[in-house]
Amino acid sequence: MDGWGVLLTLSVALFFGSAVVAAARPKLGYATSAVASALLLAASVEALVGGPIQGAAWSGPLGDPESLALNGLSAFFALAASLVWVATAVYSVTYDERRSPWLAVCFSLTLGAIALLVASSSLLLFLIGWETMTIASYGMILQATGRRGRVFSAAFVFLVFGEASTLFVILAVAGLRVGTGTFAEVPYVAAGGLSTLVFVAALLGFALKMGVAPFHMSEWLPIAHSSAPSNASAVLSSTLTLAGAYGLFRVLSLLGAPPLWWGAVTLGIGAVSVLLGALFAAVSEHTKGLPAYSTIENNGLILVALGIALLARAEGLETLYVFALFAAFFQALAHAVAKTALFLAAGWAEHATGTFDLTSIAGGVKDGDRGALLGTLSATLSLSAAPPLAGFVAEWMVLESLFQSYQFVPAWVQFLGLVAGAAVALGAGLIVIAMVKFLGFGLLWNPSAARPARRSRGLSVPIAAVGAVVLGLGVGAPWVLRFLAPAVSSFAGVPAIAPVGSLLSVPNGWSILSGSPFGILSPPMVPITIGIGACVAAGYYLLGRRPGPSVRRSPVWMAGSPPGRPGEVYTSFGYGTGLRLMMATILGTREIRSSAGAVSEAGLATPVPYSVDLEVLDVFKLFYDDLVRGGEAVAAALKGWVMTGHLGRYLAYILIVVLAVVIYVAAAT
Amino acid sequence: MSGPAWTVTPAERYELSAEHALAYVPPDGAFALYNDYAQRRSVLVPTPSPVRPEDVVATWRDQLVGPPPRRLAPQETVEGYGTFTFPYGPVSMGVPESGRFDVITYGERILELGPLGGYKSRHVLNALAGATIEDAALRIERLAGNVSASHVAAFLAAAESARGESVPRSELWVRALAQELQRVYNHVHVLARIAEAASQNVGSAQSHALAEEILRLQGRAFGHRWLFGALLPGGPARHLDPPDRKALDRELQRCAREFDALWELFLDSRTFIDRIQSTCPVDRASAVHWGGVGPTLRACGVRWDDRLRVPGPPYNDLFLALPEERDGDALARLLVRVQEVRASFLLIEQMLDRWPPGPGSPEPASSPVLPGRGLGRVEAPSGDLVYDVSVANGKLASVSARTPSQANWPLFALGMRNAVFTDFHFALESFGLLFAETDR
Amino acid sequence: MPSWIERSWTRGILTTRYPRTPASEAETPATARAPVPPQGAPIPPSAVASCPVEAISPRGVDQGRCIRCARCLTQGLRLDGAAESAVSARSELLLPAGGGTTRPTAPLASLGRSLHLFLVDVGSCNACNLEVVALANPFYDSQRLGLFFTNSPRHADVLLVVGVPTEPMVEPLRRAYEAMPGPKAVVAIGACPISGGAFRGNPGLRGSIDELLPVDVYVPGCPPTPIQILDAILRLRGAGRREG
Repeated sequence: MDGWGVLLTLSVALFFGSAVVAAARPKLGYATSAVASALLLAASVEALVGGPIQGAAWSGPLGDPESLALNGLSAFFALAASLVWVATAVYSVTYDERRSPWLAVCFSLTLGAIALLVASSSLLLFLIGWETMTIASYGMILQATGRRGRVFSAAFVFLVFGEASTLFVILAVAGLRVGTGTFAEVPYVAAGGLSTLVFVAALLGFALKMGVAPFHMSEWLPIAHSSAPSNASAVLSSTLTLAGAYGLFRVLSLLGAPPLWWGAVTLGIGAVSVLLGALFAAVSEHTKGLPAYSTIENNGLILVALGIALLARAEGLETLYVFALFAAFFQALAHAVAKTALFLAAGWAEHATGTFDLTSIAGGVKDGDRGALLGTLSATLSLSAAPPLAGFVAEWMVLESLFQSYQFVPAWVQFLGLVAGAAVALGAGLIVIAMVKFLGFGLLWNPSAARPARRSRGLSVPIAAVGAVVLGLGVGAPWVLRFLAPAVSSFAGVPAIAPVGSLLSVPNGWSILSGSPFGILSPPMVPITIGIGACVAAGYYLLGRRPGPSVRRSPVWMAGSPPGRPGEVYTSFGYGTGLRLMMATILGTREIRSSAGAVSEAGLATPVPYSVDLEVLDVFKLFYDDLVRGGEAVAAALKGWVMTGHLGRYLAYILIVVLAVVIYVAAAT
Repeated sequence: MSGPAWTVTPAERYELSAEHALAYVPPDGAFALYNDYAQRRSVLVPTPSPVRPEDVVATWRDQLVGPPPRRLAPQETVEGYGTFTFPYGPVSMGVPESGRFDVITYGERILELGPLGGYKSRHVLNALAGATIEDAALRIERLAGNVSASHVAAFLAAAESARGESVPRSELWVRALAQELQRVYNHVHVLARIAEAASQNVGSAQSHALAEEILRLQGRAFGHRWLFGALLPGGPARHLDPPDRKALDRELQRCAREFDALWELFLDSRTFIDRIQSTCPVDRASAVHWGGVGPTLRACGVRWDDRLRVPGPPYNDLFLALPEERDGDALARLLVRVQEVRASFLLIEQMLDRWPPGPGSPEPASSPVLPGRGLGRVEAPSGDLVYDVSVANGKLASVSARTPSQANWPLFALGMRNAVFTDFHFALESFGLLFAETDR
Repeated sequence: MPSWIERSWTRGILTTRYPRTPASEAETPATARAPVPPQGAPIPPSAVASCPVEAISPRGVDQGRCIRCARCLTQGLRLDGAAESAVSARSELLLPAGGGTTRPTAPLASLGRSLHLFLVDVGSCNACNLEVVALANPFYDSQRLGLFFTNSPRHADVLLVVGVPTEPMVEPLRRAYEAMPGPKAVVAIGACPISGGAFRGNPGLRGSIDELLPVDVYVPGCPPTPIQILDAILRLRGAGRREG
């Protein structure tokens, strides 16, 4: 254990230490978490640049050696997570104004648990971190404001999905334990039933955590319905789902060559998630529900890239395999960073206006901090894939991978790639509507003067910083990819070279190449080109001795009507209604009208005052509602003849179990 | 929302509508004197119910007074998450006039549409008290310039009735000719505007060109492109000599051929027809209930036209095929207009052919409803137009009017319910509504 | 589609050659011209009395008030004014008694070649509106001269005002003017915005557009013909730039 190993150990320990500190002094707890995150960030950078690092090691309870360590794969996820934690923790110092320390405690615990599971070198430690994370984040959701019943039910949904996820993860880990005989990370290459079981269990378990379709309920419901605190939502949506992705990558890295259908299933789930997530984000009216749906879309993109990678591996397409993996990693990084900014911005808007409702905010913060607005602008543009931001590069890489699905031999896989590509492209279009709503109708746009917003540097600086990171990641994408190469190598098991190169007069290494070469993109050239244009314009202006621009501000033109009268402003809801009506079959849109006045005369269109609501439905919610009802019925039935509440009966059950165990052991030996 | 609320209960609305659709109600409650009111009423409304004149009159007046902007059609309040009012106007290039539309919507779909008038109230009619009939006619022409002939004809008929004057027969023919020309212009203009909204650029340009040709013909025949002064004694150009008539006839026949060819091409454009079909439908019952008039009413299957209901010279001598459609949508209204253009061309041809030689025998005006008070009623391009004129000592005592736009605004507002934003222009143009007629 | 092309072909070119050649007879009906006082003689009192809008005084004929009712024709005046009657100062609209022209020669060289037009109706009878809209029809085809109608004052260079200014339209008109970027010009079209036209003195009306905005060009007439409106707009382009 060298100096870096000490640093890693120290940072994980400091997370748990900060939970203790937070119990007494919440703000200090957040600050300590920020320090721990910074330490973890440093360690993970070192692990990517200088090779794996080894932290504290001890002997586990089941005889396996346990240790904290970062290899390429885990270092990447630790990097992505700790990067946004620094900002989130700093932000929380100002944001969390509660008397109760529970939010701060659970926050630090969640971070520590994720750090633990990422840095764990054995699957047992991973499981411990996993479960701690689930419980701690459940505690964070319980801190939500609002009606208690609603909060409890949302937190309960989260817990149910979280525990279901743990169940499948345990199953996967158990499968690996059976296969390899140890909890340590030993590759299990044997194909066959057990391998399939591990894959299916891992996919289900981690997909549940990532909140992709059809389990996306676990993502939007706790965040949107319970109005969970924004810093908690940022952690839940950016890094909790990232932990899910990490788990899936980690288990896959232990399994051998995938059969074709693994990739196909992953790709399918991803494509459906992209479409559904984007669609629901576009019609969401909640400043946190909308980013939560967008998370579903982005995690779908990760799965799409992973699916292509698995297919490429099964087909023996080495170049595409590596490129798709780079796409998946870059997408995960881009999403984690941008999404954090979005949730922090939602919290900032709530701080300023007191609401999470986009239609009610309606530009209420546009006169607020410019830094926060720019940060939000950067993040929303990135999530809507505008060049040269990180999200654009990631989306481009994912689509490039999909374009190359023509290389697959079986026709049905090609067709699947085609359909998935269409779904991803459609989702990419729909998400733009969502982001325009969030930024345009929610935060920026309102023809009338904005309400004086509460300004707070403690909130806006982290948002601006994250926004700057998003820009930097995008512009510097070729170098970031080179930086990520160890992570890809560590996952792929082969030395991976970042897909960068040169074309035309762009300097070597400034461009990203897909395939060999298939498509090419040079993110740094975008700001350079824009900059040259700006310089030409500025030079023309300066040298041409033009009269200075005379700025005259006039009110918004609203067809001659006075602008900004209350109730006469186009709403964010209205912006999404076109989609609600067009996609009525998928969204289950229905209009509910109730007449408030006298009943109209039969056959004659006579006006009466009425109230109207346009509702959309998540069809999966209906499914889960039915499931819950079924479960309750079963439970009620069981209650009648199994769980009767008689002590004698329960003693009898215990006796039966003990006897069964004794008989099993006797028979086995 | 300023302006008076729509305060009529349904039963009263029914009466109001019956009055509107079938007869004009003089503002002082003397409606019962209107000669064949009961007969007209029975044409359309099978079971007449008792009329409370105070309510009808009060409500009718409510529409015309009050501070601007004021509602031209009933509009209800709508509540619900995300619903908002989208103010369109008063200055919007899509509508060449000044007037506002309050669109209540939750985005995309129009829940309620409330036209608001009063922005261009020039208080024309109120300011006429004490004026001579000749001076008043100059103002009334300029109330709504593109339907000036109808307004002046109705006003003069009312004034002549009030004064018990008789009119030279040729004068009535000139009035009819001017009105028919202007009907052709307005209908072609509606076609051009709808084509413009549907991005039928060639069709729109050709229709606009045809409308311009009609304007030029009017300018050549009457000395004024909008027929201002044409129907007054001492107007800028005196009436048509035989060579003029022949030239006009020749030109109009060419225009008629142009129009037929143009419409044939429009019928070939499926996208155009599809776009206006089932846009802004008005059913027959609503049209009668709310008192629709003109092509709006005829497009719902109600055959009502003042040229046939009030047969005087020259219409009693001429053949007029009255078009009728049943669907009540924008297409049906346009089809009615197109057939009316043809009918008008035919009417003009008959008129020019059988033009009375010389002034002819004086025609007695219709009998006044009260001493010194007369009604004038013509079929304007958009429908039934009524003027009510009281005369005292040779000067005007009061003038009021019920214009087709006023009658049709509620139907437009009703038809637009549950439509989408893009239907707006097709619907508005198909009714031929004018703010100038309601803001007076 | 082919039939439309065929039809356009057979219709031929309808577009006027104005302003290369003067306006044709078909484009200028009798009332397109203002009544002119008799040459070298005072205006008869009967003519002054015949005018319903007090446009005729012993000093001359105020084109800004004249609504072309033609009553004065029987009293010695002739509809004989210049077809192109737009001026840039209100006082220049007076045709002085005894004849002589006031048509100014100084152009308004304030704007460039291609102009974007925005129409505001502040209380017109629709005749002026439709004459302005007619500029876009094939007979006048304003686009060949670089004149375009915009849907928002934000994109407009020229504000075309029609109608007599009513009280409720004062604010919308000001807002439209305020929303336009500079440099900008205002054209008052017809007798109504210039003087109140036929409705001068009615309650609830402003007397003239001059009270509200700085007017660059006045176009008299009731309504002015499309050619006259075109002339007024082209005058904003300045000297040597009138042709398309």
